Amino acid sequence: MSATFHEVGYAHLVELVHQRDRAARRRLHSVRLSAYAGDGGTCRHGRLLVVFDARYDARVFPYRPHHYGYLHRRDSASPPLYYAVNATLGGVPDRIGAGAINNFETYLFLDRAISGHHAVAVGNLSRFASGQAEVMSYYDGIRHVETLELAPKAHTEIALTSERNGHRLRRVELKALFRLASYVVGRRASGELALFDHMFTYFK
Amino acid sequence: MTTPLDATLDPEILCYCTLLTFGELRAACAAGTWPPPGKEQTGRLCTGCQGDLQYCLRLLGARSGVLTP
Repeated sequence: MSATFHEVGYAHLVELVHQRDRAARRRLHSVRLSAYAGDGGTCRHGRLLVVFDARYDARVFPYRPHHYGYLHRRDSASPPLYYAVNATLGGVPDRIGAGAINNFETYLFLDRAISGHHAVAVGNLSRFASGQAEVMSYYDGIRHVETLELAPKAHTEIALTSERNGHRLRRVELKALFRLASYVVGRRASGELALFDHMFTYFK
Repeated sequence: MTTPLDATLDPEILCYCTLLTFGELRAACAAGTWPPPGKEQTGRLCTGCQGDLQYCLRLLGARSGVLTP
């Protein structure tokens, strides 16, 4: 199961089978797409949590195939963003040697100065359980922590200050009781997305 | 035994790693045989279902064992 966030005003395409493989596409048994508003309710306007429950022929894809997203603001002259969609639920990870915990994730920012606004978008795919999480941002060793709690299917963005006490934002981490959907988001001053990337599992 | 866990969920998958359904979870808890053979890793792999699994196990009156090594 994969999850992403969609905002009004963007063209957003997701490839459900890796690398435009025509033969593999025929192995797709079923796909169910769901969208949730920020409070976990059903689809309304604003930022949506979009969930893909895609099931494949297990003989061909015994794991969860990579899903890729294409994101472009309508009428923008900027190039589109191409990103890997967040794997959030399942896919027999023990059979591909990925049995380490994946509810502690990190993201390193580039060395060059960060322009615009950054945030971490977090969503809880659970059907019943609320998810508690900590977002930790690092500024040349200065650590800042924000805590949040998300109801089932709820999602939010935690804004990241680009500088604290003259120190730049270097790294952000997400720690949760169980795996959540998460992306690092960067926006230009106009609000247009300039970065949309999944975080990386800390332990390998 | 009746529980507040909606029976219409039974055919749905709870854990996508082990393909455990809500119905299988309910049956195993009712029989006192949680976790069933082959489903021992439920909630331990991708961890995405762990919150829901804990919730359902509490509703069904089973010891989770999910967080113990």
